[in-house]
Amino acid sequence: MRARAAAAAALASAGILAAGWQAGNQVIEASSTTGVAKTGTGATGNAGAGDSTGPASGGAGSSTGTGGTGSSGGTGSSGGTAGSSGSQGSSSSASLKNGTFNGPSEDTRFGTVQVAIVVAGGKITDVKSLHLTDAERRSQMISAYAAPILRSEVLKAQSVNVDTVSGATITSDAYLTSLQGAVDAAHA
Amino acid sequence: MLPMPDPQRAHGAPSASGAPAGDAPLRARTFLAMGTVVSLTVAFPDGHSDEATDRLDAASRVIEADFEALEARFSLFRNDSEASALARGVLRLAHASPLMRGYYAEAVDWRRRTHGAFTAERPDGVLDLSGLVKGRAIAEAGRSLAALGLHHWCLNAGGDVLVSGTPTPDPAGASSTDGGGQRATGGRAARPWLAGIVDPADRRTLLGAYPLGDEPSTAASAAASPAALADASGAGAGTGEGPATAGTRLALATSGSAERGDHIWAVGRGRPEFVQVSVAAADIVTADVLATAIVAGGRDMLDLATAQWDVDVLAVTRDGGLLATRGFRAPRAA
Repeated sequence: MRARAAAAAALASAGILAAGWQAGNQVIEASSTTGVAKTGTGATGNAGAGDSTGPASGGAGSSTGTGGTGSSGGTGSSGGTAGSSGSQGSSSSASLKNGTFNGPSEDTRFGTVQVAIVVAGGKITDVKSLHLTDAERRSQMISAYAAPILRSEVLKAQSVNVDTVSGATITSDAYLTSLQGAVDAAHA
Repeated sequence: MLPMPDPQRAHGAPSASGAPAGDAPLRARTFLAMGTVVSLTVAFPDGHSDEATDRLDAASRVIEADFEALEARFSLFRNDSEASALARGVLRLAHASPLMRGYYAEAVDWRRRTHGAFTAERPDGVLDLSGLVKGRAIAEAGRSLAALGLHHWCLNAGGDVLVSGTPTPDPAGASSTDGGGQRATGGRAARPWLAGIVDPADRRTLLGAYPLGDEPSTAASAAASPAALADASGAGAGTGEGPATAGTRLALATSGSAERGDHIWAVGRGRPEFVQVSVAAADIVTADVLATAIVAGGRDMLDLATAQWDVDVLAVTRDGGLLATRGFRAPRAA
């Protein structure tokens, strides 16, 4: 029993650590997402962007098709400013070593994302998506965002046509105000 | 068995003749559990045979025992339950049963994943796992039904729904899911179970409906949405890992802030933004927990849920407005 308690305590603290670690990750994710937006736009606005920006954001930059497409699209305005900063920063490129470099594995709202960059001749020549799955099987296809709709837009059914009734749990005597009761009675 | 309410009392109550299209008769049994009513509806190809009746009665008894077993352990309304012993401080969690500790760990994990919107601790500090236990009980009952060889059923526990198969199984009795699509074109085509959703402003009427089934009948909408992500999935992403493929919707849970006001506590300030939240998901525990969490956590939790989980959500605001993901909308023109 004592050993169990100790194990439970260890588990709990591991959980707390994990939560803290995740919180940290959120910050990292936020910053790297911004990096994507910047260089992504920089590349279109500025032909020299490929060899201009620093290694980290450059790697994310050409990954427009990979990791954070959805989010980078959303921040159009910050991309605009980044375009100019990209053109100013074109001096820092010489330090890239040749080879393939894996980026960190990031938990994003779309799942876990990891990319690798391929550097040749001091330039990023390719970006590969290494990992975009999701341990908890939350799908790669995220749900649609919940948007306001009119009552007339909801998928409708007459109560005579439904097989069952979903509603907030109430006491048994109300029995979903007998809608479910009526359905059951019809199938008794 | 409960006395059935008089169908005439409910607006638009179905009559026997108003049964949905499809020729497999649905048979239902009800029992009381966890302070509410559980309905088991089974679609038999030969619905009115004695064998079908026997199997329905047997299945109903089995799942009633499933519910009772969990209620006996977790109910805070029973003085002799393990949960009550914990609440009184007679028993400490470290010495509780593996099942109790397992559920507690799961509740803690849900709390973390919902950023605190779902919690198993009441404001008075008492551990209350009821938000998890009902979903768990429904899932257990579903496993029992599968073990009993039943493939086409709908289980409704106080408004939370789990389904398997279709209400219109092939009369040939083939229990396997045929690979074809599941378009409800009437006739003998297998259609999804159709769940109505109560209007919280007038609980005798339906706000809308949602199709539930093995085939991702709503997956078309889910698949259509994030084109960018389909692009993103490029190299590494496997699709459809695990038993539930994306877009599968077997479960629908609805939580409200009006009923059982002691059940859900708004996070932070004030009254809940939503009077009712319905969540459709691949499994009933996820649907149930997220519905509860969104009622408690409001818009922020709604956005978190739709971003982090493969679910559809219909939320009713206090002024009667609706927020919905695509799966709850009427079919597109396409």
